[in-house]
Amino acid sequence: MTSLWQMSAAAIASAVRAGELSAREMVTSCLDRMQRIDTGLNAILGTRAEAALQAAAAVDAARQGGHPLGPLAGVPVAWKDNLVLAGELATAGSRMLDRFRSPYSATVLERLQRAGAILIGRTNMDEFGMGSSTETSAYGPTRNPFGADLVPGGSSGGSAVAVAADLCPLAVGSDTGGSVRQPAAMCGVTGLKPTYGRVSRYGLIAYASSLDCIGGLARTAEDLALWLDASAGSDPADATSVPTQPAITPHLAARRDLRGLRVGVPWELNGPGLDAEVAAAIQNAVAQLRGLGAEIVECSLPSVAHAVPTYYLLATAEASSNLARYDGVRYGLRRDAISRCDAMMMQSRSAGFGDEVQLRILLGTFALSFGYHDQYYGQATRARALICADFARAFASCELLLSPTSPVPAFPIGSHIDDPLAMYLCDALTVPASLAGLPALSQPCGFTADGRPIGMQWMAPALREDLLLQVAHVFQANTDHHLRRPLP
Amino acid sequence: MPDTPAIDRVELQNLASLARLDLPAERQAILLHRLQRIVAAFDALRELPTGPAPAGLPSLPPLGLRPDVAEPAMPVAEVLANTRHQAAGAFVVPRVVDG
Repeated sequence: MTSLWQMSAAAIASAVRAGELSAREMVTSCLDRMQRIDTGLNAILGTRAEAALQAAAAVDAARQGGHPLGPLAGVPVAWKDNLVLAGELATAGSRMLDRFRSPYSATVLERLQRAGAILIGRTNMDEFGMGSSTETSAYGPTRNPFGADLVPGGSSGGSAVAVAADLCPLAVGSDTGGSVRQPAAMCGVTGLKPTYGRVSRYGLIAYASSLDCIGGLARTAEDLALWLDASAGSDPADATSVPTQPAITPHLAARRDLRGLRVGVPWELNGPGLDAEVAAAIQNAVAQLRGLGAEIVECSLPSVAHAVPTYYLLATAEASSNLARYDGVRYGLRRDAISRCDAMMMQSRSAGFGDEVQLRILLGTFALSFGYHDQYYGQATRARALICADFARAFASCELLLSPTSPVPAFPIGSHIDDPLAMYLCDALTVPASLAGLPALSQPCGFTADGRPIGMQWMAPALREDLLLQVAHVFQANTDHHLRRPLP
Repeated sequence: MPDTPAIDRVELQNLASLARLDLPAERQAILLHRLQRIVAAFDALRELPTGPAPAGLPSLPPLGLRPDVAEPAMPVAEVLANTRHQAAGAFVVPRVVDG
């Protein structure tokens, strides 16, 4: 028998609308499981049990009153702790924001609530989104449910683990250079980074504003389509938000197979530096895609050789500016008993920011500093344009691109934390789509011999999330990689 | 291609000052080593042809700027709610200038 906490978001919403399941039962089930399971995972930084149960009661009352319910009615959703919700804590995984309570709500969270979702708890993350393992959080590392000594990936590791461990069926994350896709791959769940601007960033604690995207994590492409339809759309509060696009859910099952689909496999993202088991899983997935009718063609993205330095120079340059606001004056950690304002600011920032955040602020300051700006920031900006042009050329001859999501499966906690460069290289396959602002999706495609999940990444032209989700849905309808659950 | 800039301890202290970070000596040694490795690894980027840097991402719609209309501000009490250092409806900071 399927337990409530094993149900998909689509199944929950359908059962709640039909009166077969109450939202209160569903929320209670998830809260109980969080209390029971999360002690060993550290995926959840805090729950809002009372508010969630009240919201669930409101959904149940609306149903009983015959009022129409939203597409996510009664679905428990966790959100990454760099998204703000009025009256709730929002730490961004940092000691700097330890006691910060937001006076306003992120657009994406408000839209999910309007769709009937129940916001249930905040998830752990790398500090300010800076990390690929959820080890840089000031609140301790999150552990992978497929192995307690393994990282879950990052920076949205808490959100990925929340879904993988069945603490909730849907979670919101953010993806600046792969922070939704990479933990999705390492935890055996499905993660979507939409086109830059498709989901409003209003209420997202900024890391690198030209790259930051809000993404979703779920077990299935169907649940992600529901999430995106509820979350996306233009927002007057975010000038970079793009005009509202047609809903995807009604057309998700339009394809029964992949006949007529031309998939490009860029050799630069599918060869050098890949773990052997990851490479084998991708080859196996390619064979399955051919079996479903897809035409697989080799292609090239020559400039992605520069993607990692380009990403880290641009992202840290933007971070050095975005994080200048944490000065101990208006909010955030403040060192007391210091007689001068400039010394108070410096000591507050040094005490509030962790090691990786300080390193990235310094790198970004270097990239922007007089004498080096054009050699580093300027060159990174040019390289970004070359990468965008590579994608445009590739999409002229195929509809989607395919690669592994991460060059390696989940690695042991502590193995990369003292080697930032090695950690940065874990993002080599996800940063190209981020730099080009393109939508990308990671879905499970296999496991290593010792049971660690492996993910494959689909990349699409701007605003073609419909195609990403349709193809991922077909793959899931014909494979069972996404069904393996790590915890009873 | 110009030589890789050598970030030394003086350069690091200058960057820390610009970034408003107070770095103890033992942290400086670790950060200096890491920054030197990262900058050296990223040096290949300087081999790319130079020229005017393009602005913005291709194929995305232009910014959707909203009309410039005055709206009510957030109440002062809410603005001040996240600091213990306030008085008379304002943030309180230590002395900024001597005198």
